[in-house]
Amino acid sequence: MRGYILWRLAGLVPTALVIVVASFALVRLAPGNPFASEREIPPQVRAALDAKYGFDRPLPEQFVRYLGNLLQGDLGLSTKYPQRSVNEIIAAGFPVTLSLAAVALVWSLMVGITAGIIGAVRQNTVWDHAAMAAALVGISIPSFVLGPVLVLVVSLRWQLLPPAGWGDWRHVILPGLTLGTIYAASIARLTRGGMLEVVRSDFIRTARAKGLPERLVIWRHMLKGGLLPVVSYLGPAIASMLTGSVVVEKIFNIPGIGPYFVDAAFNRDYFLVMGIVLLYAFFLLLMNLVVDVVYGLLDPRIEYP
Amino acid sequence: MLAFGCRPAPTGYLGTTSPRHGPNELWINNSVEPEWLDPNKCSDGTGGEIIWNTFAGLVQAHPATLEPLPEIATHWDISADRRTYTFHLRPSEWSDGTPLTAHSFVYSFRRVVDPATASKYATNGHIFKGGAAVSRGEAVPETLGVRALDDLTLEVELEDPLPYFLNFLSFYSFMPIPRHLLEDLAARGIDSDLWTRPEHVVSNGPYRMTEWTFRRRMVFEKNPRYWDAANVRLERIRVAMVESATTALTMYSAGEFDWPGSNTALPAEFMDHLAGFRDFRRHPYLAAYFYWINTERPPLDNLLLRRSLALAIDREALVAHVTRGGQIPSADLVPDGLAGYRGPGRPRFDPVEARRLLAEAGYARGADVPPITLTYNTSEGHKQVAEAIQQMWKKELGITVELENLEWNVFLQAAERTNFQVCRMGWTGDYADPYTFLELLSSDCGNNHSNWKSPDYDRLLQEANREADPAARLAKLREAEEMGLAAQPLIPLYVYTRTQLVKPYVRGLWGNHQDRHPWKYIWIDEQFDPTRPDEAAADPPPPSPGGSAS
Repeated sequence: MRGYILWRLAGLVPTALVIVVASFALVRLAPGNPFASEREIPPQVRAALDAKYGFDRPLPEQFVRYLGNLLQGDLGLSTKYPQRSVNEIIAAGFPVTLSLAAVALVWSLMVGITAGIIGAVRQNTVWDHAAMAAALVGISIPSFVLGPVLVLVVSLRWQLLPPAGWGDWRHVILPGLTLGTIYAASIARLTRGGMLEVVRSDFIRTARAKGLPERLVIWRHMLKGGLLPVVSYLGPAIASMLTGSVVVEKIFNIPGIGPYFVDAAFNRDYFLVMGIVLLYAFFLLLMNLVVDVVYGLLDPRIEYP
Repeated sequence: MLAFGCRPAPTGYLGTTSPRHGPNELWINNSVEPEWLDPNKCSDGTGGEIIWNTFAGLVQAHPATLEPLPEIATHWDISADRRTYTFHLRPSEWSDGTPLTAHSFVYSFRRVVDPATASKYATNGHIFKGGAAVSRGEAVPETLGVRALDDLTLEVELEDPLPYFLNFLSFYSFMPIPRHLLEDLAARGIDSDLWTRPEHVVSNGPYRMTEWTFRRRMVFEKNPRYWDAANVRLERIRVAMVESATTALTMYSAGEFDWPGSNTALPAEFMDHLAGFRDFRRHPYLAAYFYWINTERPPLDNLLLRRSLALAIDREALVAHVTRGGQIPSADLVPDGLAGYRGPGRPRFDPVEARRLLAEAGYARGADVPPITLTYNTSEGHKQVAEAIQQMWKKELGITVELENLEWNVFLQAAERTNFQVCRMGWTGDYADPYTFLELLSSDCGNNHSNWKSPDYDRLLQEANREADPAARLAKLREAEEMGLAAQPLIPLYVYTRTQLVKPYVRGLWGNHQDRHPWKYIWIDEQFDPTRPDEAAADPPPPSPGGSAS
């Protein structure tokens, strides 16, 4: 197992390098520049700005310099927020996105797995249909509808929670529910599907034949097998939760890192775009590795060399 | 968001009508994280809002009329040729107790044009004698026509006798800079660009920053060392950064903002509805919405066709049904009422004449005109305007127009390279004078995207700026506007308005065409009773301009 993990980690290096090269090239190929404005900027001023960020150097040189800084953990300077480094911007926003992701994850797992189990165990009953209908609705309602509706009812009508902003625990609930609900719906359907797939397996029949109580059959055997698709879904899902949601963070005005995906690209904030892309890639690669390891723990059929 | 889809409360106001904080505080929004809070480097309204309230310049703008009022300068002398101003400064201090002298202004004015500063607004310093040469790197900043005669006397020489100089001087680019702080940081090995962070910042205005949590909140407290601190009313200002217009509106409704602030727009789709509330305010704004025409690319190299297109737009219908914010339809470039200026008042809609011009241009039918592409930057609002114009040109002239939307950065590149046929643009005036708009059409203006150049036009503008008599100058500017628009290198559509929601207990806020609302006049009316709104006292008129120009 340890050998497998080390081998996989070594495999991340070329992948990461490809991601850095590709994203650097794509970002710099986009038309426009970080200092574009509807007002003319004197050429000398433009030259001074370019020099400050090293944009006056040939592209290959810029890339080598970026890679060198990256290896030292320096993600560069933001052009949109000229008094902040990309490291500082991510350090300010990431804990915020992380707490939002934690609430969303707990909520989505709680609701999703419960609904999935109900659906699978009470297959084709009214319980199943209700749970799956709710899941369908959850998948179909976009967060830019669900978020405002929650604000309207919970914040403005009942005045229970603040409508937007960031500060204490009360600010994280509505966006957490909004973000988690979409994942919860997918998790419910995957859990149900996964469990139904194993319900007719030999090992379940054996377990029942042994006289194991139904409760144990469900918890110990069916759920373990049924969760496999959920686990592989959760890998990228957690990576994407950790890098934030553009929509939810905008609606609730949360100072996390979600909006940078879009805004930094629009602003041609080269180093910030790169920083966010690399952060996402890092989580994605990491989570995929975690998923593969967890697979081995859940499914006795999988063995690692 | 449908929160405001509900009918107005019985009081007629949107949401709460009592403050959620004490009477010494104000909660506002500033939309986004500002790029720079350094007066010399700032080039956007969000930074400007903060700078205007934390720094004090030589003069300040009257909160309603925007006329120049004394600020750090108590009075000033103007030379007979109106090119030399001598400002007499009051003794005052920076927020750290360091004396503020004329040298702080000299340092600032040189710094804004110095290419080493890399200010996007370096051109603002071109009004000073030798400013353009300095910003082009042809002369050292020390050659700029700005001198401290002694610690409290500042002499400023201008390139031209600009009548709007004092008005423009209240702009944020011209605030003093605490040189001692920047040099101290540099000596300690700290990047001096960080001087506006709260842990370092030193300022001289009504408020000083005490907290700046990135993209979350700024907090300002009254600066006891501001020269006029006795007349600053509120102790504490809390500024949020909420970008989404609908989220800001919800937060206003819930009382999280008392006033969304100058940089928060109201969502256009709710405008009709919001206009029904008593806390809704609207006033004209010094900004024009227009379409540039590339006058070199056929078929729009044909002047008659350009004029025909301009006349075939029903501007009244456009603002009434599409933009809906009470914008002022206009076929002139310069918004009316600027410093006594009256534009040519070109006809706003004349479909008969438009069709006659089309025929004269050589097209018996509009269908004969080769297809024209109208380019705008991606935005729901610009799209709706473009679609309306597309329809009007089709209906009145039979001309087919294709729409093209480009992402902002790509759009700017297309505009800069004049790689378009017709493209949308908005222009906000930096000072209350027609020149801020008319300059757009001059040959050497980098913001002129029409390819139209006229030495006669340039000469008129130059003559106007050298003219010392204000009335004669305005006449020249009007002549220039007529000449420019006759060539139709752009099609003006309307003058912007600013719409605002302000809680009824917020007082000391007046509408003006630059949407500038100094915090220092604002106060919270604890006596306000929403059940008797008609008894609320009208705001006392703003202090009258006691300008001591001699």
